[in-house]
Amino acid sequence: MRRFTTAQTAVAAFLLSEAVFFGFLIAAYVYFYPQAARGAGRDLDPPRTLIFTLCLLASSATLWLAERRMTAGGRNGFRLWLGVTIALGAVFLAGQGLEYAGLFAKSVTPERDLFGATFFTLTGFHGFHVLCGLVSLLALLALTFRADFGEAARRGVGAVALYWHFVDAVWIVIFSLVYLTVWI
Amino acid sequence: MWICGFILAVVTLALAYILIRFRRRDDGEPAQGTGNKTLEVVWTAVPIALVTTLFVLSVITARAVDRPLRAPDIVVVGHQWWWEVRYPASGAVTANEVHLPAGRDTLLQIDAADVVHDFWVPELGRKIDAVPGRHNYIWITAGRQATYRGACAEFCGPEHAWMRFRAVIDSPEVFDAWLAAEAAPAPQSAAADAVAGRTRFSQLTCANCHAVRGVNQQEPYAPDLTHVASRRMLAGERLENTSANLREWLHEPNLIKPNCLMPNLNLSDQDLSALTAYLESLR
Amino acid sequence: MSDTPLAPGLIADEYPETVRSAWLDWISTVDHKRIGILYMFATLVFFAAGGVEALLMRIQLARPDSHFLSPDQYDQIFTMHGTTMVFLVVVPMLLGFANYLTPLMIGARDMALPRLNAFSFWVFLFGGILLYLSFVYGHAPAAGWFAYTPLSEKGYSSRYGMDYWALALLGIGVGTVATAVNLIVTILKLRAPGLTIRRLPLFVWMVLVNSFLILMALPALNASLVMLLVDRQLNAHFFMSLGGGSPVLWQHYFWAFGHPEVYIMVLPAFGVISEVIPVFSRKPIFGYGFVAASTVAIALLSLGVWAHHMFAVGLGHAWDYAFGASSLLIAVPTGVKVFNWIATMWGGSIHFTTSMLFAIAFLFTFTIGGLSGVSFATFPLDWQTTDTYYVVAHMHYVLFGGTLFAMMSAVYYWFPKFSGRMLSERLGRLHFVLMFIGFHMTFFIQHFLGLDGMPRRVYTYPDLPGWGVMNMISTIGAFVIGISVLVLLWNMWVSIHAGAPAGDNPWNAWTLEWATTSPPPEHNFEAVPPVRSARPLWDLAHPEGGRL
Repeated sequence: MRRFTTAQTAVAAFLLSEAVFFGFLIAAYVYFYPQAARGAGRDLDPPRTLIFTLCLLASSATLWLAERRMTAGGRNGFRLWLGVTIALGAVFLAGQGLEYAGLFAKSVTPERDLFGATFFTLTGFHGFHVLCGLVSLLALLALTFRADFGEAARRGVGAVALYWHFVDAVWIVIFSLVYLTVWI
Repeated sequence: MWICGFILAVVTLALAYILIRFRRRDDGEPAQGTGNKTLEVVWTAVPIALVTTLFVLSVITARAVDRPLRAPDIVVVGHQWWWEVRYPASGAVTANEVHLPAGRDTLLQIDAADVVHDFWVPELGRKIDAVPGRHNYIWITAGRQATYRGACAEFCGPEHAWMRFRAVIDSPEVFDAWLAAEAAPAPQSAAADAVAGRTRFSQLTCANCHAVRGVNQQEPYAPDLTHVASRRMLAGERLENTSANLREWLHEPNLIKPNCLMPNLNLSDQDLSALTAYLESLR
Repeated sequence: MSDTPLAPGLIADEYPETVRSAWLDWISTVDHKRIGILYMFATLVFFAAGGVEALLMRIQLARPDSHFLSPDQYDQIFTMHGTTMVFLVVVPMLLGFANYLTPLMIGARDMALPRLNAFSFWVFLFGGILLYLSFVYGHAPAAGWFAYTPLSEKGYSSRYGMDYWALALLGIGVGTVATAVNLIVTILKLRAPGLTIRRLPLFVWMVLVNSFLILMALPALNASLVMLLVDRQLNAHFFMSLGGGSPVLWQHYFWAFGHPEVYIMVLPAFGVISEVIPVFSRKPIFGYGFVAASTVAIALLSLGVWAHHMFAVGLGHAWDYAFGASSLLIAVPTGVKVFNWIATMWGGSIHFTTSMLFAIAFLFTFTIGGLSGVSFATFPLDWQTTDTYYVVAHMHYVLFGGTLFAMMSAVYYWFPKFSGRMLSERLGRLHFVLMFIGFHMTFFIQHFLGLDGMPRRVYTYPDLPGWGVMNMISTIGAFVIGISVLVLLWNMWVSIHAGAPAGDNPWNAWTLEWATTSPPPEHNFEAVPPVRSARPLWDLAHPEGGRL
């Protein structure tokens, strides 16, 4: 069993609080489900969102690959897969942006009804967390160009990876609850 | 209360005894004993038994005050900062005073028009929130004839403190007579100033918020005034219902109850006299 | 073991000495001791603000139908009083002490994440300043510290005060969670060799459990605040029944945070008492395992009692029974603690220092508060007493008579360690007597006001028999408390300059913070003593003695 480093312990503790936070937003979506489901069925495009979802999930896989390259000592391999991860994450965010634009064009807003309120709050905060993750990954990428990219930085990667996988896991829950339930 | 008092006595006496018996006598260290599993079990088990007793008593009490619901006898609606009181069967509507017959089981439906309020007459039973968007219910069986004070018990804005009301318990005969009188439309006084006041009531913006059944109809934006003169207090128990006080209120409501939603209408002395006379005629 | 090097010498070389101004030193510090002092100083200032707000309230309430404050002013002041005391005084004060003491008590050189530590403090401070800027804007929040909807929605609170409130609390919450994360990592990763979890000083143990509770509770508040802001600024209807939303949902969400929050406000205080009573009874804590286990029980149970704040909402029997039962149950582990503390004193040799006086006062006062809490858990009683001055009495008994008394005990106990000087015992006794009398005078009588029917959160009240007199007594008591605080401040000022030198271990205590100088050097320890039990310094002084 791998023991957590200091940074990973810190991120794990933080993720516990994040899980509670998302739990409460998800609970609000569930609480208002009759209204939320009506809006979801009418206004969302699950197949298109599935594509962007797969990008996000793939980015978790590529980040895992990047970590393996780093452990094996290959800084270039690490950089490559890290770059792919960032690109996939950015694609996901772009997809969300497109989706939001489409919804606003149809006058679906937080104001209109409880689907709007719960959907935008839940996915909006998730998107914000993805953005913060991307910024962290970019910071890591920048660090790989320093000469002293050493042990301490490697530990940082493990911590950021924990965060990124968590954000992906939260999206699986959100996607299932919001999109799959009205698609299937 | 007895159980809590008992525990407090135990703790206090133990403390007092210990503080005297074991106060420092010299600089030596006492025996460094620790722990006693039996004691720990005892002072865990005994409290569990005590709180279980309290829980059982709670459930018994809760079931005793509960009854199946039916059509309510009284509908009380909390507004910022007054109480609308309706008697659905007879059509009577009043404000800030709830009349109940002694000895009869009465079901009240508690609603809210704006924010969360709370209906509470300590002597008559529990308090219960008035929540917008839902109905709450409370059964009251008043024992004897009396007048009790009620209050709003959920912070609802600046005049929460003066969202008080009265609960008047009458004998069944007196109650029925009162209800019949309340259900009747407004009396029509022939006195000159009262007639003038009735005209001004309709001409000025009063009728836009207040209803006087028989004269106008209105949504309950403000207290129903049909029989306002029969009430003992004004403005949520803020003022005694006298001519002088009523005139003061009409003159500058915000001075008496700051933040209240009734505007200052800048009424002339003539209008004040006429309206006061009219309202005081509405028994 | 962890991946952080322990030897002090290596670390010191990484931070080259530079000559800078003292102000810049304090503003840019990442040293946990300095950050702890910053927290204590900031919370002292906020405590003064909250105290002034309380005195203004009490002046207004001293007589019936008073016009000292308008209703709107009163509502802003009571909202700010509650918000200040909960978020800007009690919790940060406890975290400030935790910050200073935790690395010392586990034999570490600093917290695990020093820069995060500094960030936590500054974001807390800026959050507090943002909250008070609402006064400058022209209207502080006025919907109570609990901000029930729909009153706190834009339709009924149209000024920006509520938005200041929500944003400030979000900022403060970030700081609190960051500190909790830091404390958990520090305690799990940086303990000295031999310091197993079962040998943790009880203060540190309670800080650890408390930090997990923070991680579970604060996010509930963050979610609530976020949804309220979406309602207010983006015109949603989460909590407005008119739009299909639910005002009661806010209450569930808020109290899902709010109830654990009150335990967050008390667990470290329990930790202080668990340190102070053994030392001044000259005996180890009676049942270490039971005190530690009951802490975990309290934390877990505290996550399942929130709807006892909602017994009057009319949720139905299932809710009343379930939450009545869990709330009654949570009294049991708390009782276990009180009994253990009393048993610790039994057979001891009690030294009546000011610190111990406050600890004993805590035992008595907190027990009263806890028992009035039990009366609320007996929910039919709650149906009469909730939302009255009986609640005001209860909460101040546990938070002031409980937590604050414990913190006074902590001040007298650890001030020598922080400053190198002893506080005056003479002034300390005066402070104690005034505060004890003032406290009970202010709050005991409020039990009766509540039972007599006086609701809470009212800016005034009718001239009913006895109400004026009882309120006046309460107001006088509040001013006595104010004077006692001045005595404390005077004591601290005088002692910093001219107090007796403290030495390393003035109380002959046993935990690691006493194994270094007062105040400790920047790197905390020249050498950490060997740890073979929960009382390392006792073992050093009694090499022949038994293990704990």
